Amino acid sequence: MIETENLTRKFGDLTAVDNLTLHVEKGEVFGFLGPNGAGKTTTIRMLCCLINKSSGKARIGDFTVDTETDCLKIRQMVGLLPENVGLYDSLSAYRNLDFYGKLYEVPEQKRRENIERLLQLLGIWERRNDAVGTFSKGTKQKIAIARALIHDPELLFLDEPTANLDPEAAKTVRDFILELKKEKRTIFLNTHNLNEAERLCDRIGILKSKLIAVDSPRNLERSLYNRKTIVHLESVSELIVTAAKNLSVVKNVRVSENKLILDMDDPERDNPDLVRAIVEAGGKIRYVTELKSTLEDVYLKLIREARQ
Amino acid sequence: MRLSKSWIITTKDLSVFKKNKYILYSLIAMPFLMGLLVPSILIFSLQAEAGTLTPPQLIEGATVLVNLFTVYFVIIAAVLPTIIASYSFVGEKLEKSLEPLLATPTTDGELLFGKSLAAFIPCVGATYIGALIFVIVIDAWSTINLGVFLIPNLYWAIVMGIVTPLACILSVETNVIISSRVNDIRAAQQLGAFVILPLLLVLIFATTIQTFPLVTLALVLSGGLAVADLVMFYLSKATFQREEILTKWK
Repeated sequence: MIETENLTRKFGDLTAVDNLTLHVEKGEVFGFLGPNGAGKTTTIRMLCCLINKSSGKARIGDFTVDTETDCLKIRQMVGLLPENVGLYDSLSAYRNLDFYGKLYEVPEQKRRENIERLLQLLGIWERRNDAVGTFSKGTKQKIAIARALIHDPELLFLDEPTANLDPEAAKTVRDFILELKKEKRTIFLNTHNLNEAERLCDRIGILKSKLIAVDSPRNLERSLYNRKTIVHLESVSELIVTAAKNLSVVKNVRVSENKLILDMDDPERDNPDLVRAIVEAGGKIRYVTELKSTLEDVYLKLIREARQ
Repeated sequence: MRLSKSWIITTKDLSVFKKNKYILYSLIAMPFLMGLLVPSILIFSLQAEAGTLTPPQLIEGATVLVNLFTVYFVIIAAVLPTIIASYSFVGEKLEKSLEPLLATPTTDGELLFGKSLAAFIPCVGATYIGALIFVIVIDAWSTINLGVFLIPNLYWAIVMGIVTPLACILSVETNVIISSRVNDIRAAQQLGAFVILPLLLVLIFATTIQTFPLVTLALVLSGGLAVADLVMFYLSKATFQREEILTKWK
């Protein structure tokens, strides 16, 4: 659905996006993580044909971002939720959506159905005739999402959809994105919120002008260090440590108080053998856990490395 | 260019303008003020001369004055867009609505034409309402006191039918260009008024020196304005940069 090859954007001497090569599958929720000024919004703007690229290639579906004709088709097939909701405060929620529905050439009957469906889904239908200026930030954000969906786009760009929202409104928006994910829409999500990215995205790209890493949240979490199993015991003896070390699947053993911390390639496969060996060596196991790095650990490490 | 797309933008802008009290009051106040104030001054000065002039001289004098004051409606049509058209892009910027609007499948030409039309319709409409009041007041006075209708005449018809809308279009286009390049409403309005000033000076100068017959002058002005309008439309398209608006506006 989205393909870029060495996509670059410079503003004078500043390279906002540097040789971005990316592939996003149809139906995938792809998260873009990065600090402020990392080039996330610039990337979305290039992909939506709002600004030009400096070099490289970018393709949305069958169209390239190079020509005005293709750009019009790209704009027709994508929905954009920008960082600022950008609704007309003096107009009603219905009128705002109707205006965009018309610009996206949604036939009148379909437009009416879509507006009703979306506003019902977001719980704003009863207030459809109220001026948008009277709504809370969270409600405005919901209307802006509805606007991005008014023409049933194949691809949705969401730029910081929960930024500046209170926890309850943020949850509503996240739940709605999960609903969209169930509908198998392709979603490109810019966010600072690691927890949100982890919960919503199939894959995550970490950007700091350059793309530093791309993988599933789970694989990114595991990429920081080897997988480790922690065995919590009543007490640790030399016999137990030796029994663990003798197992070929255990790469390293470290003792910390009454815990054994073991490096292993495939804990799901090898933990039963490990547990058996420890028990046979007289160990009394309280419980077994996995030592995991979080997405935040990975993100911070990669961003620090990129800064250096 | 798809006119239907432009019309969607026009109707939206008109809805927004309708809710803006500053725009609404300006549109109502200016034509009413001009429609009543200008004929009042005119009638007052004619009444002052009524005792010293013969009826044919009075009709001739009144006709000259009416033709002279007709230019004020061209001025209104050129000034009103500095209030409304300055909102077109700066207003979108203030509501931060430009990015989603630019993300729609709309071309620059459609967007500019739609925005220009949204400013043109109320400005020229308000001017015509003012002109209508002017005609009613003047003709009511002239039929009672002179026994003739002073307006409409050919010159008046050309000025109101051709010069006024063309001057309005020129002002709208100029102000739309300014609005897409500045960051706040006041700057747009001040700059808009400043740019419109030469046009007004040309109009006032041309009508007061009366080197040509008035009808010829009105036709020459119409031709000049039509060319200027076309040039300005292409200039506005050429200078409208989506990217600059999105990346440089703070």
